[in-house]
Amino acid sequence: MDVRLPRLGEGADSGTVATIFVKEGEAVRKDQAVLELESEKAVASIPSPVAGTISKIFVKDGDEIKVGTLIFAVAEGSAAESRDVQANGPAEEPTEPEAEEEKPAAEVEEPAPPRAPAEPEAPAKPTNGFPPAASPSLRKMAREIGLDLSRIRGTGNGGRILLSDVRAYIQRLQTLSAQPQQAAATATAASQKTAPVSIDFAKWGKIEKKKMTQLRKAISNKMVESWTTIPHITQFDNADVTDILALRKKYQKAYEKKKANLTLTPFIIQAVIETLKKHPMFNASIDEATEEIVYKNYYHIGIAVDTEQGLIVPVIRDVDKKSMLDLSIELHELAERTRQRKVALEEMQGGTFTISNQGGIGGAHFTPIINKPEVAILGIGRGSLQAVVKDKKIQQRMIVPLGLSYDHRLIDGANAARFMTDFVQTLQSFNEKIVKL
Amino acid sequence: MKSIKTDFVVIGSGPGGYAAAFYAADRGKKVIMVEKDDVLGGVCLNVGCIPSKAYLHAAKLMHEAQDSEFRGITFGKAKLDLNKMRAWKNSITGKLAGGVATLAKSRGVDVMYGRGYFEDSKTLRVETKQGQKFVTYDKAIIATGSRAAMPPAFDLGNKRIMTSTEALEVEEVPKNLLVVGGGYIGMELGTVYATLGSSIVLVEALDSILAGADPDLIRPVIKNAEKAFKEIRLKAKVLKMSTYKKQVKVVMEHDGKQKEELYDRVLVSVGRTPNSDDLGLENTKVRKDEKGFIRVNDRLQTDDPMIYAIGDIAGGVLLAHKASKEARIAVDAILGEAVTKKEIIVPAVVFTDPEVAWAGLTEAEAKQRNIKVDIAKFPWSASGRALTFDRTDGLTKLIVEPETERLLGVGMVGAHAGELIAEAVVAIEMGASVRDLAETIHAHPTLSETVMEAAHAFYGDATHIYAPKKRR
Repeated sequence: MDVRLPRLGEGADSGTVATIFVKEGEAVRKDQAVLELESEKAVASIPSPVAGTISKIFVKDGDEIKVGTLIFAVAEGSAAESRDVQANGPAEEPTEPEAEEEKPAAEVEEPAPPRAPAEPEAPAKPTNGFPPAASPSLRKMAREIGLDLSRIRGTGNGGRILLSDVRAYIQRLQTLSAQPQQAAATATAASQKTAPVSIDFAKWGKIEKKKMTQLRKAISNKMVESWTTIPHITQFDNADVTDILALRKKYQKAYEKKKANLTLTPFIIQAVIETLKKHPMFNASIDEATEEIVYKNYYHIGIAVDTEQGLIVPVIRDVDKKSMLDLSIELHELAERTRQRKVALEEMQGGTFTISNQGGIGGAHFTPIINKPEVAILGIGRGSLQAVVKDKKIQQRMIVPLGLSYDHRLIDGANAARFMTDFVQTLQSFNEKIVKL
Repeated sequence: MKSIKTDFVVIGSGPGGYAAAFYAADRGKKVIMVEKDDVLGGVCLNVGCIPSKAYLHAAKLMHEAQDSEFRGITFGKAKLDLNKMRAWKNSITGKLAGGVATLAKSRGVDVMYGRGYFEDSKTLRVETKQGQKFVTYDKAIIATGSRAAMPPAFDLGNKRIMTSTEALEVEEVPKNLLVVGGGYIGMELGTVYATLGSSIVLVEALDSILAGADPDLIRPVIKNAEKAFKEIRLKAKVLKMSTYKKQVKVVMEHDGKQKEELYDRVLVSVGRTPNSDDLGLENTKVRKDEKGFIRVNDRLQTDDPMIYAIGDIAGGVLLAHKASKEARIAVDAILGEAVTKKEIIVPAVVFTDPEVAWAGLTEAEAKQRNIKVDIAKFPWSASGRALTFDRTDGLTKLIVEPETERLLGVGMVGAHAGELIAEAVVAIEMGASVRDLAETIHAHPTLSETVMEAAHAFYGDATHIYAPKKRR
């Protein structure tokens, strides 16, 4: 069986081979990682779709490969497989539909890539291990084209999946996959206009040249796209976090006992969530294809992480449903994994709002670039002790500078001012109950 | 030694083997089919499904004729000519086996008579009457099936102690017949011999006959068997058998007591043993489970990538139609198609009187796996068609997923249940809902109406029973 590079996720259609784990002739289990690919903002591992023996590896370290490139061949079936084979009979455990096709390394949490225009079809619920309700011919076709029927919502009696459902699903997938290509085509056209010319810097002095990493290229492309397609406005303000720091001090020990480090960030995230709930527009996206505003009933917060190689923005899911403790632990763990570049591409997708906290480094107000397709981003500078008039007295307070960049296509200045005011208010009168363990 | 080269070699010519050989040939492959016996067709055609059904038909004729006085018909006492009956049975199996041979020939499938033995993963040695032949192949499919189990303790070399194979020859109608094992084979053959005139004692080690089937589906079978048989002993164990003059002396334990009895013949139907010995499997990478069944994956490939196994030898339910389906799956798998045996619905049919059949999820399995289901039943006492031939001892039952109303399983007991289950299999495979069944016309007066009426009963509005439901 020939294995080609699968589509790894939205916009990721090429990558560089980072590590190859196996040798030709080596036995592999189903889903065992065969090689690692540095793609866009993550290192993704490519699993073997079947158990067997690696008969040929067609790529080597450092190769740049595209989706569909033949990467390795695996001879199906061997001793490796037999271990998970049940000898007889109707499977007793709940079975899942056979995954014939290559799958991305990590599990995707949401039903479809985040840029999906108003996902009309929720995945059907798995039913006690029974295959999705669909005719045998349709199930066979799905296996042949590598379609997971459990992701398709049937419109027949009792949710039965019909040929028309599959047709609609595939058409939608095609529309989706065509969009980034169109964007790319436009970008190429644009770059052709300003055909970049190499400048000979060496004539003014000694230089050193280094190839841009995949990550740097990805960041570069992303920033250009966001900056050139979104009219950015940044709203500034300051927040007094003295009380929050007191809360933090009060509970830090208790959190430490639970192996959690209570930093300022989870406080900010919680306040953001509360403010987003009051201003759902800041948690929305614009569907440029259908000219619709997509309001999201979930809160996935992107956290900008500074890594050695560059900026990476992993996403924490369903933050509104998480306790401060869980959030602190997850935040720490995710940041750590991000620095080690062990986050999967899927973990960087589906964000609804991003926070970029430079407080740990320095600097005051700044104007962050929106993480498209989100519509707003909050930038936090370094806090400093300032003399503030409070309760008619001059007091020493810790003041943090804030910058909220927003998409002016969707959000008006007044909205942003209201959002900022509410956010600062929420932060300054932070509800202790949320921190309490 | 020069060898014969082929694309596929299929070992065994039963409903698994010949289906695989024919399908592979139809897909353009060169195929050799190896059969150790002199006739094609395997157990099913020669000493299983087919002859037993022939005898059951004969038994039914006798039974109905003798039982028709209240219908205003009287016949004389039935006279049996066992030789003629056997010849009739043989003409049926002969026609079928001949048919398989003809079909093989017209497809260009090369039939090799002789025992097959793997020399290694790529070579099969066949012991033919013309001497050894060596076949090298791209892929082998093992379809050697199973045989009636005969525990060594009962294997006295006494022809009065029979398995189903001998019992189907019907050499004589014994006065007293002991049937050991209350599975489907014991029940079917017990019925045949009872009708022919034997007095039957059936012993079963478990606490029910036809273990595994839903209790409400086998109730009518038990009721009938209790009439037709002299005795049914549950939780009984045969300890010893020995030859005693022209009879068999049997010691068994039942109800906490030991009994010693004499029988004219004994039918041992305690399960089936896979034919996986003497195949040279040790020369390949094929591995077996502790019962001797060959281990396969969802695509029926064994631990040896060159070799596939289908049907009884691959374990699971031991049914001919499961073997025939697996034949196609294996060939498709070898040809690189996206197939799996995971999702197939294998209907089960027991040709007792009345017949029991089920497909998909059973009520017992739902309970055991803790799956929440709704059950809808339609008793055949409300079926006009069942009444016309005096067989209202039937039940049609739907097992339904509550939320989606999807049909997960169907169980039936009653005359011709084996034919009726076909609709259920299609419905389940299609992912049909109860509403689909309820909305579909079923011809009147037929037994198939019971399926539709059970679907109506799910909504509490079946025409011929009054059992309103609160739902909707």
